[in-house]
Amino acid sequence: MAEHKNSDNGEFHPKGTWVILLIFVVTLILLWGSVYVILLSRGVTV
Amino acid sequence: MTEKQSMHIDPYEKNWIRLSIGLLVVFALAVTIAGFAMGIQVPSPEARVDPRTVADEGPWAEPGLRELAPGKYEAYVLAQTWQFTPREMTIPAGSEVTFYITSKDVQHGFKLQNTNINVMVIPGQVSKLSVKIDEPGRYDYICTEFCGLGHAAMFGTLIVE
Amino acid sequence: MLANYEVSQAEKKFIGLHLLFAVIAVSIGSLFGPLQALEHSGLDLYPYLQPIFKSYYQGLTIHGVLNALVFTTFFITGFLTLTTIYGLKRPLRYPKLNAVGFWMMVVGLVTAAIPILADEATVLYTFYPPMKAHWAFYLGLTLVVVGSWIEGYGMYFTYYAWRKENPGVRTPLTTFGGLITMVMWQIATLGVAAEILTMLLPWSLGLIEGTDPQLARTYFWFTGHPLVYFWLLPAYVSWYGMLPKQAGGKLFSDSLARFAFWLFLLLSVPLGFHHQYVDPGVPAGWKFLHAILTYSVFIPSMLTAFTVVASLEYAGRKRGGKGLLGWIRALPWGDPIVAAQLLAGILFFFGGIGGITNASYNVNLVVHNTAWVPGHFHLTVASAVTLSFMGISYWLVPYLTGKKLAVSNKFALAQVWTWFVGMMIFSNAMHVVGLLGAPRRTPLGLAPYIPEEWSGHLLRVGIGGTIMFFGMYMYVYIVAKTAWSKKAEPANVEVPLAESVQDPQDTPEWLDKWVPWLIGTVALLLVAYGPQLIDQISNISLTSPGFKVW
Repeated sequence: MAEHKNSDNGEFHPKGTWVILLIFVVTLILLWGSVYVILLSRGVTV
Repeated sequence: MTEKQSMHIDPYEKNWIRLSIGLLVVFALAVTIAGFAMGIQVPSPEARVDPRTVADEGPWAEPGLRELAPGKYEAYVLAQTWQFTPREMTIPAGSEVTFYITSKDVQHGFKLQNTNINVMVIPGQVSKLSVKIDEPGRYDYICTEFCGLGHAAMFGTLIVE
Repeated sequence: MLANYEVSQAEKKFIGLHLLFAVIAVSIGSLFGPLQALEHSGLDLYPYLQPIFKSYYQGLTIHGVLNALVFTTFFITGFLTLTTIYGLKRPLRYPKLNAVGFWMMVVGLVTAAIPILADEATVLYTFYPPMKAHWAFYLGLTLVVVGSWIEGYGMYFTYYAWRKENPGVRTPLTTFGGLITMVMWQIATLGVAAEILTMLLPWSLGLIEGTDPQLARTYFWFTGHPLVYFWLLPAYVSWYGMLPKQAGGKLFSDSLARFAFWLFLLLSVPLGFHHQYVDPGVPAGWKFLHAILTYSVFIPSMLTAFTVVASLEYAGRKRGGKGLLGWIRALPWGDPIVAAQLLAGILFFFGGIGGITNASYNVNLVVHNTAWVPGHFHLTVASAVTLSFMGISYWLVPYLTGKKLAVSNKFALAQVWTWFVGMMIFSNAMHVVGLLGAPRRTPLGLAPYIPEEWSGHLLRVGIGGTIMFFGMYMYVYIVAKTAWSKKAEPANVEVPLAESVQDPQDTPEWLDKWVPWLIGTVALLLVAYGPQLIDQISNISLTSPGFKVW
């Protein structure tokens, strides 16, 4: 293995982190979107 | 000040930041369109009143519904511990009502269930919002801010027929 | 390498006193949680308490003030005192100054507690005028806040002394995060200070006739939202600066951690109007500006989510976790300190989703002042924060007392999971019933307008709240038993400071300079709040006389 300064970090790519956070984003869009749809369905206020 | 001093942002994290900002921009656009293009708006200052005299003179001395034109109403609502006046109002389905609400004592809330009417009622201020209701039924307006011991019982009903 | 530093016994005792008051506060405040939750399910126990506690609302006031204001403030000032001195490896510069601040907080707590317990301050923890509490309530709150300022000054002086001894060295991360928390708090509490000192205190003393309730709300929410970050940032200090080590890894990015903390300083305060979206006296344009600023403060939270989860992934892989998600199982879930913080993080995911919904300008019309809101903030302050603080306690109490945790590992784990499960049930039910239209701060059993269809959700509120009750008193039991047991085995606990993948000395210098960030913070504050404050103050009308309506 090549010796370089960040060998500790060199091999590490946070792919699993991306998966978890993507799940979060999809949940966020769905839940936020459902409240937004309620807002739209209830009509204008001015 | 060496060359290696830098933010060292991992490419995965960089993409995450981009995604986060993109998501927020989309949400911001969605609420902007709903608010400023479609008219689903939050209240703005309407008028100042004197809470000590508001129930004695002016429109809140006789709270209630006023018909401006067919299918177009104004509703002056007075909040106090622990009731709304009027307690009941009736409008035909498809009407548009503009609410003007104020309080003669403490803070209250006014939420017309199953509509977008949901405002704080603050002594000295007038809360104004409008709604158009097509579906006939009984719509309760409830107090949503703690206003004392009788708070839970404070509500009224808008009847849409 | 981080050499160990020995905190003096006197300082350990001083920090321990903070914890003592925090745990006493939360153990009293939490008595009322299940009473409120069960009331929603149709079992109202308040009538039986009548001789002592007069109403649901008095109970709710005690619950909010002791848990959200007192428990947090005492725990946080104690914990951050430790992260400051341990990180800097030097004692407090002026320990007497910190002691003055602490005892002022205690005096304030007692001063405010007396009228609350006497039912003379049943105004909930937002104390909106013209509901008028006894003057001692406002005075007590003022002393708590000023006491916390003084403890903050003690930390700044300590940092300043260290900085002169160590020019050019990067501020240790836990110290850095703690200092930012205290500075942000200092700025944020100017709002509530103005509210109490210029309006509520003179009014409750009879010096002025009335208040301006709208201006009071603007002052209050200047402080009210950053208060959330005052609770949250110490948990972040642990998630960034300690959890990576406790999980068996390293912090993924030192510089982004610091950058996130700076963004919190910059953006925590100038967004209070997002609590006032439906206030009649604030123009919609200013509300919209604060909506955008609130969206901006979501970015450092998203950064935190990535950096913390990536640090955990790093730890899980080092512990032999394989595959895309296998590292999650490899994390030390058997350690209650780690499990508490992981579960706090999971609950906070949902807290974040609710938060961005509340913050979304007109979307707030759907949820404002409904049960959704307490559902939301129980996921933030009572989960992300409180559950993390519970986990922190499981090393902090042994560290301070020198005694091992007096219960089995399994029991502490059960405590953490109990809180998690109860919170999941409770907060989900509160969100749902809020969306259906149930108001917050309301004994729903007495409300004549509650439809029958809500009863299933309201039952879940009661079940969740009851489970949380057991979770809380398991925690109190663990801490109390450890602190007071005589025979406990001596503990050999160190403050768990995480290393960073990247040497902090390689973090750019601009991330360790205060002046530009402070100037930016003040400038942004002036832009976001200045014109509205000038407008509302110059149009002040003190026409609302006080009411005692409980």
